[in-house]
Amino acid sequence: MPHENDIILSFQDLDIRFTLRGQVLKAIRGVSLDVYRGESLAIVGESGSGKSVFTKSAMGLLDANGTIAGGHIWYEGKDLAAFTTEKEWLTIRGKEIAMVMQDPMTSLNPLKTVGDQIEEAVVLHQGLRGEAAKQAALEALAAVGIDDVERRYKQYPHEFSGGMRQRVVIAIAVACRPKVLICDEPTTALDVTIQAQILDLIKQLQRKLELTTIYITHDLGVVANVADRIAVMYAGDIIEVGKCEEVFYDPKHPYTWALLSSLPQLGVKGQELYSIKGTPPNLFYEVHGDAFAPRNPQALNIDFVERPPFFDVSPTHKARTWLLDPRAPKVEPPEHIRHLREQGGKSYA
Amino acid sequence: MAKYIGKRLLRSLLTLLIIITIVFSLLRLMPIEGYFQNYEKMTTTQIQVGLQQLGLKDPLPVQMLHFWQGVARGNWGESHKYRVGVDVMTIIAGKMPLSLALGMAALGIALLLGLPLGILMARSASSKWKILDRFGTVFVVIIQAIPSAIYHLLIQFYGSQLPGFEMFFSAGKPITWLLPIFSLSLGNIAYYAMWLRRYMVDESNKDYVKLARAKGVPSAQISRRHVFRNAFVPLAQFIPTSVILTLMGSLYVESLYSIPGMGGLLVQAIQLQDNTLVQALVLIYAAISILGLLVGDILMALLDPRITLGKKEGGR
Repeated sequence: MPHENDIILSFQDLDIRFTLRGQVLKAIRGVSLDVYRGESLAIVGESGSGKSVFTKSAMGLLDANGTIAGGHIWYEGKDLAAFTTEKEWLTIRGKEIAMVMQDPMTSLNPLKTVGDQIEEAVVLHQGLRGEAAKQAALEALAAVGIDDVERRYKQYPHEFSGGMRQRVVIAIAVACRPKVLICDEPTTALDVTIQAQILDLIKQLQRKLELTTIYITHDLGVVANVADRIAVMYAGDIIEVGKCEEVFYDPKHPYTWALLSSLPQLGVKGQELYSIKGTPPNLFYEVHGDAFAPRNPQALNIDFVERPPFFDVSPTHKARTWLLDPRAPKVEPPEHIRHLREQGGKSYA
Repeated sequence: MAKYIGKRLLRSLLTLLIIITIVFSLLRLMPIEGYFQNYEKMTTTQIQVGLQQLGLKDPLPVQMLHFWQGVARGNWGESHKYRVGVDVMTIIAGKMPLSLALGMAALGIALLLGLPLGILMARSASSKWKILDRFGTVFVVIIQAIPSAIYHLLIQFYGSQLPGFEMFFSAGKPITWLLPIFSLSLGNIAYYAMWLRRYMVDESNKDYVKLARAKGVPSAQISRRHVFRNAFVPLAQFIPTSVILTLMGSLYVESLYSIPGMGGLLVQAIQLQDNTLVQALVLIYAAISILGLLVGDILMALLDPRITLGKKEGGR
């Protein structure tokens, strides 16, 4: 159990809103989450659940129509949620928190050499110039497992393959010397064979540079591979958070059950794969009660009326569901979910 | 690169050959009045003798050959109507520098004002202060939508009432250059501002700009080093053409201010049926248009490393 002092990044009651054509969309609805120093946290959830927006808010990278409407983001004694100017954010971006983005094919400037783009980060954050900056860029390239760095340094992104480009993107992030690395679906756009290599590289760099990593993903395979802890996000809220084994083998929230049931590995041959019926709620409207209730066949009456608080399952595991209230009727998770424990997670290995 | 340029030059030459052949052939279909000063008073024999002397009785291919030989020797023929007996190159050489000077000044101003305007508009479009973008768009739309004749006239009419300004151009008085240059540049200012804004807005929504922000690059630096640089590439292709097209002059502005430039020379030559002059002008215009495109393509390749010239997989 990590100590209180080991919290590097702490989100408290974070509210994020977007204004679209006069309408207000509540993308993040009062989310609290602590990120521990040196850990590897995975935020999972379906598309549109707000996982990307949530992490981007810690770098001030929300789109122009998005604002932090309430709450705090504590980092090293500073409340990032109160930042207003670019100057303030420039003390955080890259320098403290860096990011690896989803699509390596588009996240590099096609008209600048790879070396230039790494050097830009080196110059900004390591304060090096000229030959020293070049050396640092070459080192960064070598650190992410690229050979023949002198030649590669002078090449343009289109001369790199997808996996190699993602290595370059990681090299840029690492060249900033950050403390926290946010990996926004770092392997989604990559070949399956390359995915594992990239994840291994990030893990290895995390250990070497003592980074705190936050993965955003909807790929539970990635999660099982890299994460110490998991936060499950649904409709702009974190509904369950716990250690990797806890969330996988003892999930408490019906949405987590449904999410795990959707794993193709749990399907029975010949049967259709499981999918969650219905659609997530429209966040332009006020969400009442448990956001997942309308899609949950076993929803309780109270789920439609009042938003559940967090119930502690263990010191490290908590979930936002009325099922954990002592007064709630006993609802068992689906059978295949209970069997996950017995399978010992073989499906994910 | 050199191989590609060589290949493109050869192909350009071929295009030129085809164009001039077509024009040459078409001009042979023109009435023969165009070759004589006082056609009405001439007898049939005089006309036949005259045509004989001009070599127009020869079979077409022979005429063609003679024409090309003349071009190669720098002898482009004499004007028959516009200025009788004067070498067409002398006529053109007397007019082109003036059009070029005016056009280049106007283009320079257009780039100097249009590009910053485009940058300002693009930066304003992606910020909270959209008012600048709105004003810029109104300006661009007005200039693009109104027939240029109208604002050219207005500029001449009101501009010439300012103290010191004059209605007509005279090469020796610098102040008389200002109004026509301003008139000529307006269209290009709007053009460059509009396209640069558009390409910059496109670029600034791309992922690499987000990554640049995420690595902590200040937004002014992103705008300069990444967005502008990349948005400028598709525009750069047009600049050589714009430069070269100034050689042709502007028909309307030049006639408005009585500027003895290239504008309208071709129209006049066609009206007068001055065939040699038409031939020479078409050849020159075709050549400079082709050259403009070629230089534009080469410039693109120099600015964008993804374009590899001359390679098969380049897709050309």
